[in-house]
Amino acid sequence: MLGENLKIIGVVVGTIGVFTLLANAIPQVQSEVPQDVSFGADVSEDELTASGELLYSSAGGCTACHGLGTRAPNLLTGNGSEGPIGARCSDRVPGESCKDYLYLAMVEPNVYLVDGYSPIMPDMRRSLSNDQIWAIVAYLEAQGGEVTVTGADINQGGESGSIATTAAAAPASTATDPMEILNGNACLGCHILDGTGTPIGPSFDGIGSRVSAEYIREAILNPGVSVSEGFEGSLGMMPAMYGAQLTAQQLENVVTFLVNRR
Amino acid sequence: MTVWLNIRKQERERCGGFSFWAIVAICGVLSQLLVPDLLLAQATESVRQYGEFPLIGSRAAIWIAAQVHLLFAAFVLGVPMFAVVAEAVGIFGGDKKYDKLAKEFTRLLLVAYSATAIWGAILSFLLVTLYPGLWLYLVEIFQVSMWIYVGLFFFESFTLYLYYYGWDLWSKGRAKWIHWTLGILLNVWGTLVMFIANSWLTYMMSPPADVTPDTAPGMVQFWSAFANATWMPINIHRIIANVVFGGAIVGAYAAYRFLVAKTDEERAHYDWMGYIGNLIAIGALIVLPFAGYYLGREIYEFNQQMGITMMGGFMSWLWIIQAFLIGVLFLAGNYYLWVGMGRIPGAERFTPYTKYMLVVLVVGVMVWATPNTMIADREEIAAMGGTHHPFLGVLGVMSAKNTAVNLMILTTFLSFLLYRRANSRPTVDWAKTATQVQGALFVISSIVVVFYGVYGYFVPAIVRIGFSVYQVLAVLATIIGVITIDIFMLRGAESRGDIRWGQMPPRSQYALFILAVTFTWLMGLMGFARSGIRQHWHVWEVIRDTSNEAATPALGYAAIVISGCVLIFFALVSFIFWLGGLAEKGAEEASSSAKIEVHGGLSQ
Repeated sequence: MLGENLKIIGVVVGTIGVFTLLANAIPQVQSEVPQDVSFGADVSEDELTASGELLYSSAGGCTACHGLGTRAPNLLTGNGSEGPIGARCSDRVPGESCKDYLYLAMVEPNVYLVDGYSPIMPDMRRSLSNDQIWAIVAYLEAQGGEVTVTGADINQGGESGSIATTAAAAPASTATDPMEILNGNACLGCHILDGTGTPIGPSFDGIGSRVSAEYIREAILNPGVSVSEGFEGSLGMMPAMYGAQLTAQQLENVVTFLVNRR
Repeated sequence: MTVWLNIRKQERERCGGFSFWAIVAICGVLSQLLVPDLLLAQATESVRQYGEFPLIGSRAAIWIAAQVHLLFAAFVLGVPMFAVVAEAVGIFGGDKKYDKLAKEFTRLLLVAYSATAIWGAILSFLLVTLYPGLWLYLVEIFQVSMWIYVGLFFFESFTLYLYYYGWDLWSKGRAKWIHWTLGILLNVWGTLVMFIANSWLTYMMSPPADVTPDTAPGMVQFWSAFANATWMPINIHRIIANVVFGGAIVGAYAAYRFLVAKTDEERAHYDWMGYIGNLIAIGALIVLPFAGYYLGREIYEFNQQMGITMMGGFMSWLWIIQAFLIGVLFLAGNYYLWVGMGRIPGAERFTPYTKYMLVVLVVGVMVWATPNTMIADREEIAAMGGTHHPFLGVLGVMSAKNTAVNLMILTTFLSFLLYRRANSRPTVDWAKTATQVQGALFVISSIVVVFYGVYGYFVPAIVRIGFSVYQVLAVLATIIGVITIDIFMLRGAESRGDIRWGQMPPRSQYALFILAVTFTWLMGLMGFARSGIRQHWHVWEVIRDTSNEAATPALGYAAIVISGCVLIFFALVSFIFWLGGLAEKGAEEASSSAKIEVHGGLSQ
């Protein structure tokens, strides 16, 4: 009986031991917590890029998608023949500087979706602070390009002066002009209006002849509820934050403006 | 009474038509709406967020308590499912052997039940003392469900006691049907208990989209928190996994009793019980990957980043370990069946085929365990000449892995079929045609699996993902079709000889131990995966983990903790089953003594 028990214990402990050894023999990768960083106005390029590299390669979670070239564009190596991101970011959007492009790509990733890839990147503001995001921007700029991020960009509390992101148009905006509201909330990043914008979502041209004011209002407040015919693949792409971001007056101004586009 | 009413009337008049008590009621309602958030905010600020556990730290303490609780819970939830089925087989088939088996299953469940509750209490107290901030937050949202959860334990406990202790009393006629219904009810309570607990942990993984760090817990809508994105996928996955795990532990118990059995009768009984345990575990294992795939898909749907972290980020190697473990399961399960054929007269004719099945299984495991998605730094990418290994990269994609696992499932099913067929000689005149049809089903499904596996290399990823559905459907259709044909074909079949239950080499029983240990370790690994993809969040993108143990550990550390949990579980479950065996032995001895006294009296 004792002998049998010892054999059984041996089998059990031996099996557990094999699994434990195997799990310890493979590359050990630990998921780190994003390092809190805080930069002053005189932060150096080296400090920025060092923090950015640390965040990019570990706690920021970037390499899960950007390391393979299948889920998201390669950033550190060339994407096809385009060179690393720092070398190609200035040319991505006409009139958009590299750092503005990179910042917007992190906070509103669907605005400048790269052809051939799915809109799967999250808004990095949910997991990273403003300083952390700018550190990564600086690091990416350094990959084949020149670092132009400064402490002033970071301390403006968000994007650099030239970008009008939805973060900038958050509750503090008092714009009432519909076009100002549309531009301020980067609506034309996904919709076309009078030949301007990006055709990811339904065009605003003639929208008033296709849908009602109620539909437009619902689509702004609860974009995940339904989607226009032909855009089923885009369901879930539109951010659901405009209800909190726009005032009631702004919402009605936009709805009225759009429903009159016939 | 009149005076009292007059006073009330005067008060209403003073208050402009509102009675004093109405104002109090309104104030009470308002206070319930407003003050708890204020109180909670104050409480949250004043209560410490984290406690400290000596030696191993808070994270490890919670981890061990949760994992061991879950292992016991899986057992006590899985066993009633097949106990009820076994009892039904006994009722409908008239074979008392299955009824006795069901009772034995239930005895194991009874003795393990207390341990489940104890570890649940340990987990609760550790949560309260080590993570009071998180606990306060979750309680605010889920308190009602927690009361229901606790209340259900009364129903579950009493039902279990009635089910087990009433077994012999209610063993005939209508009483037997009522007894069986108690078994079904036991499953209902257990499932409800699990569903409620699953809502808390899945909320931590996949809170509703409208819940943000600024959302007060009192404002979280209960039902959307309860029935969150990953709730039902986890429910389904755990129901099936509980059956698998329960079967494996029962198999290990039977293996032990077999090895220490003193009589041939005992050995035969536990050999049979081990076979049943293995059949349940491997049979349910076949459908488990589909539930896992559904869960994985829902995680991706909920949050792509979480899904990608799970499969392609720092956790990507975990799935290689999982593949290795599942390979061990397939190999051990099949090995047990092949060795088991040694006790079946007529099985010799199938023995030559086992080597081909072994080849398929080994190659399948190797393909499945090939890594593909790894985090590579620039030097590694340069060394490989790209982001994928030039050779392994071809085998590491889902196309190859789905093909491998589907072929392994078909092979395992074939093993089972040969085992089932070994002892029988069909008497129907269409047996040959039916066997050819069965063979054709195997061949066709294999072709479908391989075809879509190869074709998947030439289409975009989004198309390739859909091919796995065709592969799975082909395998499932084959299993259902072949079993259906077999059931009808073997009706009235002649036996080639009595199965020699009990005549098994000891190594076959060690295979059952390996199965049980591997299943247990795999559960621990999957628990780490599920919790780990939350990374440094208590509640994903809502409540951040700000403790000094926020980093998600690497696989090596996780393996050590998992191994510790498995050892604790097996030590406890061995002790608990030994205790149950003592009670059984005591009852048998008391019964024997009573018989001897009676005979002694009669002889005088």
